[in-house]
Amino acid sequence: MVQNRNKIIDLFIGNISNAIIHEILEKAIDVDEIISRYNKESKVSFEVAKKYREKINPVDKILPSEDIAKIRNKVINNVKNELNIRILKGYKNLNVTLVEETVDKFLKEMKIK
Amino acid sequence: MEIIAKISKGSKMDQIYIPKNRTSFAIGNYVIVKPLETEKIIKKPYFYGVKNVELVKLRMIEEVFSIIEKKIVNYDNIIITGSFLDNGFKFNDIDILIISNEKPVDISKDVEERTGIKVHLILLDNKSLMRGISIDPLYKIMLSKCVSKKRIILNVKKEINYKILDLHLLKSKILLDNFDILNGNEKYYLIRNMVAIYLFIKNKIISKDKVDDEIKKMFKLSDINEIKENILNKKEFLKKYKKMYNKTFDLIMDGIKNGAK
Repeated sequence: MVQNRNKIIDLFIGNISNAIIHEILEKAIDVDEIISRYNKESKVSFEVAKKYREKINPVDKILPSEDIAKIRNKVINNVKNELNIRILKGYKNLNVTLVEETVDKFLKEMKIK
Repeated sequence: MEIIAKISKGSKMDQIYIPKNRTSFAIGNYVIVKPLETEKIIKKPYFYGVKNVELVKLRMIEEVFSIIEKKIVNYDNIIITGSFLDNGFKFNDIDILIISNEKPVDISKDVEERTGIKVHLILLDNKSLMRGISIDPLYKIMLSKCVSKKRIILNVKKEINYKILDLHLLKSKILLDNFDILNGNEKYYLIRNMVAIYLFIKNKIISKDKVDDEIKKMFKLSDINEIKENILNKKEFLKKYKKMYNKTFDLIMDGIKNGAK
């Protein structure tokens, strides 16, 4: 059971990281270029993360502090890694300072912290 | 013999006067009186990339057009697209794109009540649609198979914005870690998104059929429904998918590095 819970937490981390990266990348693009897109999966990472969150106990309350710290650190590292890959490949205007506050915002929305 | 006459107002009863000199309608004959309506001109919708549509779907499309026309007077076009236009009845919803500069009116509830089908509504102005077609491969797929109220005139120059493509490709990444939780349709949308982006960068023609053909070729599938029915071989598929994802990501990063948008 513990192993299963850890696996679900890992999957949650992967998806919430993706949703956060998406939000930060959006901010690096001209606002005019972000048009309402046709596809239905635009918020799929967020929605999938939600599905996993519903399987992590306690569902209705925030998680224990050691879980919060573990999840927060892993998400921050994932997001920074992805952004750094892009920066190394020549991507400009990426605001890495936004990472921590965006991660906290998303984790609160998901009732993690 | 037919006579067109006007109903006139009488004191106790109204009446219709007909000429005394006539070759038919003898006194005492029974006749049918019915209103003369100007013939309603039914404009046929425009079909793009649609080979055949079931009659019941055509009626639904007409119904959708009629509901929208009553609610939104000044629209540029109404476009029906998505899996609703595929053969058979395996669609989940009906995709309706309303092109209008008016303040958006949500007609989803009206359409859902009248047709019994879930609606995925997109409201766009003409400028945004043209911009979408110019920079977003999924818009191209969308309009490659659709039925529209008015003729669609596309005279848009393609433009590659690598940062936007990076953003769109990111969505397809979740398939790598979430293969087991995603259903067949979700998998199909994520694969199609990635393949459409790849073809767009490679300057290939993009249409729903072309993208499906490319998916079949890339993943060695005999039928695209293998994805939608969720019967893919996980190990084999993910190996190819990861390779294709990285290849597309590298193309995008090269574009960004070389100073494109």
